[in-house]
Amino acid sequence: MATLFPTTVAPRGFVSTDPELAAIDASVRWPVLVCFLSAVHWMVVGTFLLVYASSLTHPQDAFPILGWFVTLSDNFSMFTYGRVWATAIDALVYGWASTAGLGLAVWLLARTSRATAGSPASLMTAVVFWNLGVAIGLTGIFLGDSTGVELLEFPAYASWILWIAYALFSLWAVATFLGRKPGNDHIAQAWLLVALFAFPWLYGAGSTLLTGDTAHRLPGSGVVQEVIDAWYVHGIYTLWLAPLGLAVLYYLIPKVSGISIRYGSNAQVAFWTWIIFAPWTAVHDLVGGPFPAQTVTIGLILSGLIFIPVALIGISLISTAFTAEGQQGHHGGVVFPFLVLASVAFVIAGASEQILSIRSANELLRFTMFRECNTCLWIYGFFSFIVFGAIYYIVPRLLDFGWRSATMVKIHYYTSLYGILLVIAMLGFGGFMQGQTLENTDPAVSIVTAVDVSLSYRIAATMCVSLIAVGNGVFALHLAWMLLDWLRLRVRGNRLAAEILLEPYEGDAAASSKEVAA
Amino acid sequence: MIPIQNFRSFFALIFAIFFFTWFGFVVLPWISLGHLPPIQDEGSTDITPWDSSGEAHAGEHIYAADGCAYCHTQQVRPASSGADMIRGWGTAKDEDGKDVTRRSYPRDYIWQGQVFLGNNRIGSDLSNVGARYTDAAALYRFLYDPYLGDLHSSMPACRFLFVTQKISGQTSQDALVLPAADAPPAGFEVVPTAQAKSLVAYLLSLKKGYHLKPDEAGLPYVPPSTKS
Repeated sequence: MATLFPTTVAPRGFVSTDPELAAIDASVRWPVLVCFLSAVHWMVVGTFLLVYASSLTHPQDAFPILGWFVTLSDNFSMFTYGRVWATAIDALVYGWASTAGLGLAVWLLARTSRATAGSPASLMTAVVFWNLGVAIGLTGIFLGDSTGVELLEFPAYASWILWIAYALFSLWAVATFLGRKPGNDHIAQAWLLVALFAFPWLYGAGSTLLTGDTAHRLPGSGVVQEVIDAWYVHGIYTLWLAPLGLAVLYYLIPKVSGISIRYGSNAQVAFWTWIIFAPWTAVHDLVGGPFPAQTVTIGLILSGLIFIPVALIGISLISTAFTAEGQQGHHGGVVFPFLVLASVAFVIAGASEQILSIRSANELLRFTMFRECNTCLWIYGFFSFIVFGAIYYIVPRLLDFGWRSATMVKIHYYTSLYGILLVIAMLGFGGFMQGQTLENTDPAVSIVTAVDVSLSYRIAATMCVSLIAVGNGVFALHLAWMLLDWLRLRVRGNRLAAEILLEPYEGDAAASSKEVAA
Repeated sequence: MIPIQNFRSFFALIFAIFFFTWFGFVVLPWISLGHLPPIQDEGSTDITPWDSSGEAHAGEHIYAADGCAYCHTQQVRPASSGADMIRGWGTAKDEDGKDVTRRSYPRDYIWQGQVFLGNNRIGSDLSNVGARYTDAAALYRFLYDPYLGDLHSSMPACRFLFVTQKISGQTSQDALVLPAADAPPAGFEVVPTAQAKSLVAYLLSLKKGYHLKPDEAGLPYVPPSTKS
């Protein structure tokens, strides 16, 4: 049986042999790299905050060291659960997933359009502003300016910065797409366009209607606010992150495995059914609430059809992976395992949405940790694995420089894999047990009983999220190591930089060898 | 199926699909639920539901900023959907002191500047917390140290909403009465900050001790079953 990973990684020779693709990669090198680096930074921040938040949901007797966390949370408003949870999820969604998503979109749009990217300066400005917006937004939440609207917690003074950044980015994207070479159409472009079009609609409507001054919010609108927020939250997962991720999968899986997507003729049906049905998963947050029952029922029927695109996409991507394995005997390389895992996570996430669209299951799981399981699946299970795989693929091609250690990739892969599987298992099953208690018809059962039932799952979840955090940390260190080594080799040609960084200066050696040759 | 080569039709179709979802989740709810007025009682100037105090509205901001809604819901589902009524979360007292147990309706929320329906019940539902707690002092104690309210509580303590200050002259009226383990050093007292006061005013304002018929509540009228 072949090993999943190679035991060594190649140091050089990643630049595409197609000179056109090599030129395209070179043209987007810096914006994409800055996106990935800042995204990985937010991933580390967000995961740490998530571990912290998760550790506050249960007694810390098992981990005495966490007593520090509790002392902080008790005495400083900055570190209370409600603020840390919000910053953790926002750092992961806007800082990690969306920033990495922007980088992926830049690279993929340029590649699928076969057009070298113009104006990298405007892209860089967009990326810098985006990160600024995220940083200011997270600080605002810590300081108590959170709007309290799920996934739109960033205060108004941060969200307009994100707006400017996205506007700049989309100008670039439209220009690149319109400048595409004729005949280069790829299903990945369709997914990218949906994501790039959905985000401004969602974020524009969400932030103007729901955040900002109370006086300017929909006045007296009551529960309509929560309907719009549900539409926004699920829109971010199903119309922004999922299309970005699927675009990458549809492009990279054939590239890496060397075979075309199986059942590719279904890709269009899957595409249209996904964008029609998937956003209706928003109705999962409205079942039983103070809303007209008929509307909720119609929504449940529409969101229940999500199994069609999930099955089509899942069958096609996963069977491609198995066929490739059958033909080549092994996955070959560090990229493919992550992409396969992302495809599987997509199917599991789709299945969890499918479960929530069944009314009785929804009633049971509606207010339990099953919803956190769903969030973790989209962010950590599905999207993170795509970004990992894509970064492992793209960064060597941008730098023409290989990853440093096969062992570190392996550690990263297995901690992420078992971390996310255990988190899903704990939160999913824990949610079921918690739901059984919360919805118990015995009047003697109270919220306290439900807390007691869920405690062990919460403790387990903290431990499993810590495992993910270890993997993410290893990945971040590996990326940093690779960039440092690359930088060290680069500076050897420049005397001043070499002296500052204490590297041997190779200019002399090159000059002297020339003399010898002469 | 329109392929991406035909860019205009492709984009128009995407736009139409997004508009359909937008219509369902934003426009339609806004038309049907966005302008519910309170109900005026016949022959009097009383309205149902009534607006809460300005201090309670200020408390909404503390509730939002400290993320209470990540663990606490404010919605009671009907008996046909979940066991919220059995947990006692739909129970409040009306003006005559009689129990009113019912689900929540869209019209219950019309006065709230920001609505916090919530999606997670790590803690209890707060729709009627103002009916379960009538005394601000008990809520202050709970916020200061949840274990005083319930030994199994998993709520984080919110001591940052209080200040420990030196007693000058008489003890302050709203100083917390705490057991020895939590008590401040002799000569000191723990008093709530302005933030804590508005948060507690908000919590105490959360009670639905009035009757709404389904047709008044912003929901389509469903005839009651004949046997009752």
